[in-house]
Amino acid sequence: MSPSADHPILDPTLAPSFPVGALPVLRNPQLRKNVAHAIDVIQAKRDRLVTEKKDWQALRTAGSDLRAHTLENLGAYLQQFESRCTANGGIVHWAADATEARALILDLLRQENASEVIKIKTMTSAEIQLNPYLEAGGVSVFETDLAEIILQLGEQEPSHIVVPALHINRSQVREIFARRMGLKDLSDDPHALTAAARTYLRRKFLDIPTAISGANFLIAETGAVSVVESEGNGRMCLTLPRTMITVAGIEKVLPRFQDLEVMLQVLARSATGERMNPYTSLWTGVTPGDGPQRFHVILLDNGRSSILGKSTERQTLKCIRCAACMNGCPVYRQTGGHAYGSVYPGPIGAILTPQLMQMHHAQSLPYASSLCGACYEVCPVKINIPEVLLELRHQVVDQERHHFSRFFDPMFLGLRIANVLFSRAWLFHTAQRLGRIGARLFTRKDGWIHSLPSVGAKWTQTRDLRGLPSQTFHEWWAARPKEAK
Amino acid sequence: MTAPATSRQRILERIAAATHALSKTATELPAAYAALPRTYIRKGQLSPEARIELMIERLREYDAEVVQCTEEQLPETITAQLAASGRLILVAPPGIPSAWMIDAAWKITGLEWNIDHGLTTREIEQAEGVVTTAFCGIADSGTIVLHHSPLEGRRVISLLPDWHLCILRFSQVVETFPEYFDRCDQPPGLATWISGPSATADIEMTRIKGVHGPRYLHVILVRDQDANTTVN
Repeated sequence: MSPSADHPILDPTLAPSFPVGALPVLRNPQLRKNVAHAIDVIQAKRDRLVTEKKDWQALRTAGSDLRAHTLENLGAYLQQFESRCTANGGIVHWAADATEARALILDLLRQENASEVIKIKTMTSAEIQLNPYLEAGGVSVFETDLAEIILQLGEQEPSHIVVPALHINRSQVREIFARRMGLKDLSDDPHALTAAARTYLRRKFLDIPTAISGANFLIAETGAVSVVESEGNGRMCLTLPRTMITVAGIEKVLPRFQDLEVMLQVLARSATGERMNPYTSLWTGVTPGDGPQRFHVILLDNGRSSILGKSTERQTLKCIRCAACMNGCPVYRQTGGHAYGSVYPGPIGAILTPQLMQMHHAQSLPYASSLCGACYEVCPVKINIPEVLLELRHQVVDQERHHFSRFFDPMFLGLRIANVLFSRAWLFHTAQRLGRIGARLFTRKDGWIHSLPSVGAKWTQTRDLRGLPSQTFHEWWAARPKEAK
Repeated sequence: MTAPATSRQRILERIAAATHALSKTATELPAAYAALPRTYIRKGQLSPEARIELMIERLREYDAEVVQCTEEQLPETITAQLAASGRLILVAPPGIPSAWMIDAAWKITGLEWNIDHGLTTREIEQAEGVVTTAFCGIADSGTIVLHHSPLEGRRVISLLPDWHLCILRFSQVVETFPEYFDRCDQPPGLATWISGPSATADIEMTRIKGVHGPRYLHVILVRDQDANTTVN
């Protein structure tokens, strides 16, 4: 898959900066319309159901504290999960990074002699870029979630973590299915499109004996795994194959089964604006006679343990991947998901991606926010995303400050000059007078500055600047009639 | 498997280093967990009739069909539902009482019950419908919970057939999610929470029924107790 101008790159090591990545969407009215429509529908449903829930804030507090407690004691809970899952017939593996996880999964598939594998939508597998690796290793991968099929067959990239194909409308889906499934007479009615996917996948479910899933929750107390879904493709993958391989981030664990009483009440309402998603499955290791008889869990670190050690950033790991933050975000609404250059878009992506990549990449993401706080308000586990964004901005600036090339950067030069000017009153007043004379050159008759040269253009490209007044407050104060007191 | 073992060690060491100032000792951990705030609503506030009404309303919002009957009327209600659906090849879990099946078998010509004593996937896939019971119903979200006992069946039988008839008793319906968890004496090994028929909204956020799971969910609510009797 060669990245073309129109093809978004969701690899933070290769993706352009956020303002550049946002341009294709901002210039494409159809794409913006598709994104805005989907967001508006989910938002309206979510708001109605949250208002209906009288104990919503109590559930948020419980969810937040429960997730924080789990992270603080992550080692103990993970080891408990491991021992309980193993006792119930599951096999637990640990992968320190994406490379290890991918190799481990391919190895397991080879032990199964699997040339094909069916998949339940999993963000974790997208994070480790599993599909291209498996394909290169000779395993054909079949996504089974409707949106993932649309993306896979259309060779497109996901733009949302819950509704990954929300940027594609029905006529575009029709075109993809008609072309790839050989159905020339397919209509663009969503019912017909869904039925086409059902038929396309039925045989795959019945014939392919190996499946890969993610996990919404791991239960330490029992070693159980839970998957939350809508379509039933998850249930198919969890019951029909012989072998199931689950990839889960180490932060996915919950202490007890009963903790689902909090999580299941907030997750669907936040994610899709439903009281409950159609299907939630829970299984524990291997159950004789029911479902896969070989079960592997891969616990993936991939940068998570380094986030865990930082007090402000740790809350990032409380995330239960509901996507409420992106649905509520005024920036995401305009740019869609591809601009974030990562499989994790939106506000949570803006904090998660740079941290998983240890800040070497995705340095523009902490700035991809107006800090309005809408994401924090809707987050069901109270992740203070603006707080983490600010902390990351601080780190970006710190890194850049010490970078040699920054010495001649106009912005840093300007800030150093400002540092000198602000430290002496006479210098400051002189600068004000000079600045007023200089600004007069650019101020139009309406009293506004519409365009500035050089670095100043960064401001005036997108907004106007009011011209400087003819008198400063200090000048006015000194010149005021004395008797007026 | 030496490499994964070292990864395990490395990850656990990193976690330990990251959380050493925060994590509780094994003896302190249960108390710290117990102290977590849980001020959300546990016990439902509705009267028993209102609770059942809410369950029915929520199920219908998901496009599930709901009928009510008494314990005595159950076999004939099952028959009526089957007859109306026009479905003849059926699957049932091994624990299903024969009294529930005999009535329909007598009255509907061509009706075929396949009891799941290890049916193959193909056999289940060819069935047109499935009849099961459930462990619990949660009115707040219209959710039916299966714990896959011999009366509820293996997970696959309530998945492949396109039509699912689920029998739920009044006494099994709770109002809130926490009340369901209170009813679990111990955590289930297998569980499926079903809220309406299979659905997707992946194409322009239009909810479409039946992508892969059953497209039709029918529920028979059995009045096994006076609606006015308080349930535990």
